Amino acid sequence: MIWIMAWRNIWRNKMRSIIIMLSVAIGLFAGIGVQSLYDGMMTSRVRNVIDEETGHIQLHNPGFKNDYEPRYVIDNGNNLLTKIRSIEGVKFASARSITTGMLSTPTGSAGVQVNGIVAEDEYKTSLLKQKIIAGKEFNDAAENEIIIGKKLADKMKLRPGLKLVLTFTDTTGEIVSSAFRVAAVYESSNTPLDERNVYVKQATLNNLLLCGNAFQEIVVLLQNDLDTEKKQKQLQQLFPSLKIESWKELSPETEFMVKTVDQYSYIIMIIIMLALAFGIINTMLMAVLERTKEIGMMVALGTNRIRIFFLVLFETVFLTFAGTPVGLAISWIFISYFHKHGLDLSGMGKEMMNRFGFGTLIYLEFPFDKLAGVLLIVIGTALISFLFPALKALKLQPAEALRQ
Amino acid sequence: MGNTVIDAHNVNKVYNPDTIPVYAINNVHLHIEEGEFTALVGPSGSGKTTLLNLIGGLDKPDQGNIVINGVDITQLSPGELIEFRLKNIGFVFQSFNLIPVLTAKENAEFIMLLQGAKKATRNERIGQLFKEIEMEDKLNSRPAQLSGGQQQRVAVARALASKPKFVLADEPTANLDSKSASNLLDIMARLNKEEKITFLFSTHDQRVIERAKRVITLVDGKITSDTAMVDTNILHAEIK
Repeated sequence: MIWIMAWRNIWRNKMRSIIIMLSVAIGLFAGIGVQSLYDGMMTSRVRNVIDEETGHIQLHNPGFKNDYEPRYVIDNGNNLLTKIRSIEGVKFASARSITTGMLSTPTGSAGVQVNGIVAEDEYKTSLLKQKIIAGKEFNDAAENEIIIGKKLADKMKLRPGLKLVLTFTDTTGEIVSSAFRVAAVYESSNTPLDERNVYVKQATLNNLLLCGNAFQEIVVLLQNDLDTEKKQKQLQQLFPSLKIESWKELSPETEFMVKTVDQYSYIIMIIIMLALAFGIINTMLMAVLERTKEIGMMVALGTNRIRIFFLVLFETVFLTFAGTPVGLAISWIFISYFHKHGLDLSGMGKEMMNRFGFGTLIYLEFPFDKLAGVLLIVIGTALISFLFPALKALKLQPAEALRQ
Repeated sequence: MGNTVIDAHNVNKVYNPDTIPVYAINNVHLHIEEGEFTALVGPSGSGKTTLLNLIGGLDKPDQGNIVINGVDITQLSPGELIEFRLKNIGFVFQSFNLIPVLTAKENAEFIMLLQGAKKATRNERIGQLFKEIEMEDKLNSRPAQLSGGQQQRVAVARALASKPKFVLADEPTANLDSKSASNLLDIMARLNKEEKITFLFSTHDQRVIERAKRVITLVDGKITSDTAMVDTNILHAEIK
C-alpha cells in the first residue's frame, strides 16, 4: 500500500514531477555524455600512442634508455626481430635505429630524435605513411632523404625538396654531420612528437652511426590491445637481458591521464547529481509540507514512523528513477550516433587538442563499465535527497499537523 | 454498568505555560462506558478538540491521567501511542481527511491494511460497511469524485473498519448539509446500537446533540454539565 501511495503521490503535481524527472534524465545524460566523451578521448589518445608513437611494446638495450646513446644497440637484433615476428598474437615488429642530434637550416637549428627506419616495415607498425601531408614517401634510389613533422617544418621554414643538415655522434663518440633533403612532411595528432621526431632510411643512418646493420629499438604491434601485458611478460621471459616496456611505461603520462580522467568523470557526475539533489530536495520538501495535514492524519490513524519514512523514500526513489531510463535512452541514442560518425571537436582548437596528443574527431564510447557506478551515484542522489524531507515528515506531531 | 472505555482524571492542558498561560483543559474528569453515544458540546475555543486529541493520544496532557481500556496512555511513548491508536481508536475528522490518492475502498481499509488484515477479511468488512453507509457503488471512486457527505461516510467506514473500541469524532457534521448530516448520524447511531461501538463526538450542531444519549458541556476547558438525555424512542413507547 505504501509504495502504491508513493507512486500515486508523485503524480499529484504532474508538472513538478515531470520537471524533476526530466532534470534527472538530462543530468544523467550530461554525466554519461561527459564520461563517454572522456572515454572516447582516452581511447583516441591510447590509439594514437600505440599507432603513432610507441606501438604496443618496445625492446631496447637497457643502457640505451639512459642517455639515448646509439652505441647501445640490441645485440643480435635481426635474429630477435625474426623471432618476435613469429610469436603468436604479434601483428608485426619493426626495427628502428635511433640517435639524438641537431637539425640545422640557414634559418636556425632544433634538437631532434633521428629515427632510422625501413619504410615498408615502419608503415606496418605505425601510421607514418597515412600522416604524410606533403611530399612523397622515401624514394628507393635516393639515400639522404628525410621525413619531418609539420610543426618542425613550420618552425624551420622547411618544405619537401629543401635541404637540412643533421649533426649527431656516431657509435664511436665522434661527431658526424650529413645533409638531407626533405622528402615529405607528416602531421600526427601529437604536435610535440611532430616537432621532435624525424625519419630517415635505416641504412643511411646506420652508415653514419657506423653500426652496420644493428639497431637500437624494436617496435612490436600486437593483434589485440588487451594482450599487451601478457605479451610483455612473454617477451621478457624470452629476452631477459633487454628492457621491454609497454606503451603504458613508454607513455606514462597517457596511462596517468586515463586513470585521472576516469576519476574526473565520476567527480563531474557527482557534481551534476549533487546539483540535481537540491532540486529533488526542494520538490520533496514541498510535497511533504503541502501534505502536513494528510501525514498528520495518517500518523493519527496509526501509521508508524517507519511507514512514513518509507513513503517519502519511495516517492523520492520513484521520482529519481523514473528519469533514469529516459536519461539512459537519450545517452544511448546520442552516443551511438557519435560512436559511428565521430564528434568533431576541431572547433575547440585543433592545435590545442594536438598539443595534448588528442585527435579532433572523437568517437564516443558508451561507458558500459561505468554504468554500475553511475547508477550508484543516482541511488546516492535519491538517498541524499529524501533524508531531509523524510526527517521533516517524521517530526510532524499529529495534533499540530491536523490543526493546519 | 458496562465496561469503562475512557477514564480521565484531573486532566490539564496548558498552552504557553512560560508566557501567558492558556488553560485549554482545566482539571477535567471524565468517565465513559462501553456503548455510550456521547456529545461533547461547547462554544468555539472551549477545548473540545483539545480534549478529544488528549483522549485520542494525539496530544499529551500537562497533568493528569487518561486511561483507555485499562491502559494509561499518558505513560506511553510516541511509538506505543501510534500502535495503541491503531488497535483501539477510530477517528472521524471535521474535514473528512481522506487520502486523496486512494479510492474510497482503499481509504476505508487503510487501517486494516496497517493492522495486517488479510484481503478476504478486508473485503468482507469493507463490503459490509459500504452496504451500511449505502455507498456500494462508490468503492472505486477517489475522494475528489465524492460529495462532502459521501466522503464523511467513507471516513466513518474507515474509523469503524477495524472494529475499534471507540470512535472519536471531531465535529463530524460541521461541513455537511442537513440531509447528509442526518444520514451520517443515522449510520453512527445504528452502528452504536448494533455493534456496540462507543462514540464520543464534539459538536455545535443541535441536531447531533438531540441524537446523543449523553451530553457533556465544556466551557473554558472545564466540564460545566454532564447530562444523560432521555431516549425519545423509549419516551414515545411509554406514552403509548
